[in-house]
Amino acid sequence: MIIAFIILIILAAAASAYAYKKGDGSHKNGFRIAGNTFINIAPLLFIAFILAGFMQVVIPPELIKGWLGEEAGLKGIFIGSIGGALIPGGPYIAFPIIATIFKAGAGLGTAVACVTGWALWGVITTMFELAIIGHRFTFLRLGLVLIFPPLAGIIANIFF
Amino acid sequence: MKNTVLAMTGITILLAAIGVLQQGPEIIMQALMAGGKMLIGVVPLLIAAFILAGMIQVLISKETVNKWLGKDSGLKGIMLGGIAGALIPGGPYIFYPVAASFLLSGAEIGTVVTFVVAKNLWSLSRLPMEVALLGPKLTLIRYVVTFIFPLIVGVMANTFFSGYADRVRDQIRQMQGTGEET
Repeated sequence: MIIAFIILIILAAAASAYAYKKGDGSHKNGFRIAGNTFINIAPLLFIAFILAGFMQVVIPPELIKGWLGEEAGLKGIFIGSIGGALIPGGPYIAFPIIATIFKAGAGLGTAVACVTGWALWGVITTMFELAIIGHRFTFLRLGLVLIFPPLAGIIANIFF
Repeated sequence: MKNTVLAMTGITILLAAIGVLQQGPEIIMQALMAGGKMLIGVVPLLIAAFILAGMIQVLISKETVNKWLGKDSGLKGIMLGGIAGALIPGGPYIFYPVAASFLLSGAEIGTVVTFVVAKNLWSLSRLPMEVALLGPKLTLIRYVVTFIFPLIVGVMANTFFSGYADRVRDQIRQMQGTGEET
């Protein structure tokens, strides 16, 4: 998180400095767009964070762990994909959960489907997507990636 | 926009109701605290992300974006979108504002879809954590199996949804309150 912040600050500062050096007021324009976007999206972001908070409290990690159990095969892959999507949070929350179910005996395909489901169908990411870039983009992306989490699990089971 | 607010508020209320029924009313405070803590933690990141997204829109000319990431860029644009996605650090509140600014600057829809999906599947900043927590074997298999996905979605989006891109852009402009931008 700290590293992400530092990289982002450097990028934002460098871009702002470059815009300022152009000398045509580009930097003011950039800040104006940033401010406008922020103000307009703030209410949605606020709801997205509250929603994320409720997900973390109502869907505790233990529930998902129990749910995924030792399922293997095709059923495990589908449950893994959906379970992964429901994991409320970033990599710090998701990877320990998936590591636990994998060590507890979930199949390789289930674990791969779970990581991919979390990455591509993740409900919290999707909430932010809706809030920031809108439902048209969100639905298009979801439609395009729809089969990937189970597909990844199936490929992993066949080849590895 | 309004529908999104309504839908998200609805889901929140539903989750709150389930939580209260399961665990009692004190979970509302817990959830608000959890969400609030997350929000406060990412506010500096959010501000930096929005400034970066704003500067991208003013700095990178339409012509440049068009040449590298736009309609005529084809597979090159998709590859560049994927590399940018793999490199950008941070969570969804960072890469979605950047993805939106790419689209508004004229990037092709496939480029931006690949950018987002590559961020989710190829992310370099997440790699050390994935290796540490899931182990090198599972991580390697996961990367190999999903490696081609970001490129497939980009090609599919460009082939089948090229005409849809302007509708996506209209919605982003509307949401950002920058309808007057061209």
